[in-house]
Amino acid sequence: MANAIEITNYSWAYAHGNGKALKAVNLSVEQGECVGVIGPNGAGKTTLAYSIDGLVPGQYHGIKEGTVQIQGREVEDYPKGMLQREVGLVFSDPEAQFTAMTVEDELVFGLENLGLDIPEIRERLDWVAELTGLGPLLQKPPYEISGGQKQRVALAAVLAMRPRVLVLDEPTSMLDPLSRKRVFEVLGQLRKVQNTTLILIEHGLEHVVPLADRMVLLAEGEIALDAPTPSFFEKLDLLHHHGLHVPGAVEVVSRLKNSGRYFGELPRGVEDARLVIQEIIDASSTKQGAV
Amino acid sequence: MNKTLLGYVPEHSPIYSVHPFVKLFFLLVVSLFPMFISAPEWNVGLMLGIMLLMIYSRVSLRTLKMYIPVAISMGIIILLSYTLLGGVQPQYQQITRVLGVSIYWERLRDALVVYFRVVPMILSMVFFLSTSRERDLIVAMRTIRIPFVVTYVFAMALRAAGMVLEDFHIVRQAEQARGFDATGKSIPYKIRKYVMYMIPLFALSLRRTEEFTNALVARGYAFAGEGARVKRADFVLTHYHFSVMDGLYTTVIVLLFAAILVARYGFQRLTVEDSYFLNWLYSIIVSAA
Ligand SMILES: Nc1ncnc2c1ncn2[C@@H]1O[C@H](COP(=O)(O)OP(=O)(O)OP(=O)(O)O)[C@@H](O)[C@H]1O
Ligand SMILES: [Mg+2]
Repeated sequence: MANAIEITNYSWAYAHGNGKALKAVNLSVEQGECVGVIGPNGAGKTTLAYSIDGLVPGQYHGIKEGTVQIQGREVEDYPKGMLQREVGLVFSDPEAQFTAMTVEDELVFGLENLGLDIPEIRERLDWVAELTGLGPLLQKPPYEISGGQKQRVALAAVLAMRPRVLVLDEPTSMLDPLSRKRVFEVLGQLRKVQNTTLILIEHGLEHVVPLADRMVLLAEGEIALDAPTPSFFEKLDLLHHHGLHVPGAVEVVSRLKNSGRYFGELPRGVEDARLVIQEIIDASSTKQGAV
Repeated sequence: MNKTLLGYVPEHSPIYSVHPFVKLFFLLVVSLFPMFISAPEWNVGLMLGIMLLMIYSRVSLRTLKMYIPVAISMGIIILLSYTLLGGVQPQYQQITRVLGVSIYWERLRDALVVYFRVVPMILSMVFFLSTSRERDLIVAMRTIRIPFVVTYVFAMALRAAGMVLEDFHIVRQAEQARGFDATGKSIPYKIRKYVMYMIPLFALSLRRTEEFTNALVARGYAFAGEGARVKRADFVLTHYHFSVMDGLYTTVIVLLFAAILVARYGFQRLTVEDSYFLNWLYSIIVSAA
């Protein structure tokens, strides 16, 4: 079977932009994989997301080079409205995504577009409202709720469509730490149960690390680094060069590894890091004891 | 409080149990009534009827106060345009001359008839807008199976209007936050400043349009082609059902309309000649002169 996403030598220049927003990008993602994409402002993250969902080149003028294939088919070759049944996109500005007058209509809009019948729509509506805790807000206008709630609506509206590929453009920027954790739990769950392919675009590394199998660093439209999450953080200099904040615990272990004190995989969180450091301490004390 | 298109209605209003279709039907049919009623007193009766319905639905009558200046200036415009610019026929009866202009009874009468036709029409519009939300409109249109594209474009237009207002507030707040305040300044100054608002507003609207199309496309909506051929379920309609009372309201509106048509064309009533008010006015203005 073809890869979920297969991007080859892909460049995109907006008609009115200065230069290429994406330059010779190569990226292949298997079904069920979770790829974290990070990079500074203007790096081309949103453009990449739009390219996977067909908004680029569908809705924008510009020059495309190379190929972007979803499930083995070039994005332009999908009939209108069909690619978006495969790929769900959560926008970074949730308000930009709203199309309806109430939260419920918002969640239902995509489902109606899929041509589902009423019982199926009701079933999915209940499921997603429960999953994202939006039950009490269903009858409110999506403009009259808090920023974090808006973001949850934006996410829920796309989740309800159950796309095989889910692209999330900074989906948690307005969420408090607890809601953010919850969203990542939901995404993890989704991946396990439905084998959804996830492209997770974030500014902060610490949010993607626990979920992503692989990390991609995008800088000035180019892929500067593409590596499995554990080895991604071994390139500390490169990450710092692009102004990225590496989680402290990970950085410490990465430095120990670079200085030859540790040879295993880099940890993903504080608890992992504690175990690794414990191991290093134990190892060195045994060594000292032997002397 | 529940926000409607034109302000708020209290949480508990009998109007909520009325199916949106009935509200739209009321607007479309009742605002036709005055077209068939020439006698002003009947149109005043219609106005009172609509106002009673407003009170019953707990619409704040303060909304109406807002329209008093509009109603007055409209009255003056109608009066002036009919009496001054109305033209003259040989059989017209002159009442008086003001500053060398002849005032004819027929012209004055027509002005009154037109004015009292327009006011209840506006009133039924106000009643509709202050008891309906955008969603009601959509539901009403979908109930009568108006194609989705049409209702959706309509809804988008409503939303766009709302967004422009919202943007206007944002731009204004941004201006005020930077210490700009037009209160108490001269009119040309204000106009100049409002033009200044329009430029960012225009830019914002352009961006919104782009965002909005993106949002539609990203959710698999297609205006044409294979994607547009799916059969859409109208989930929103599952929240409403057309009750016996709704049937009754609709019937009453239809019967009233029929009664007006019969009175007008079957019995020659509700006409200018049949109007007690106009006959009385004639007797004191023309007969006395
Ligand atoms: N509609 C557009 N027209 C012209 N140029 C654009 C357009 N959208 C983005 N660009 C340009 O493309 C480049 C990449 O923008 P993009 O929005 O993809 O960055 P990003 O990584 O998502 O940034 P951020 O972290 O701020 O969201 C930028 O140089 C930007 O100016
Ligand atoms: Mg972006």
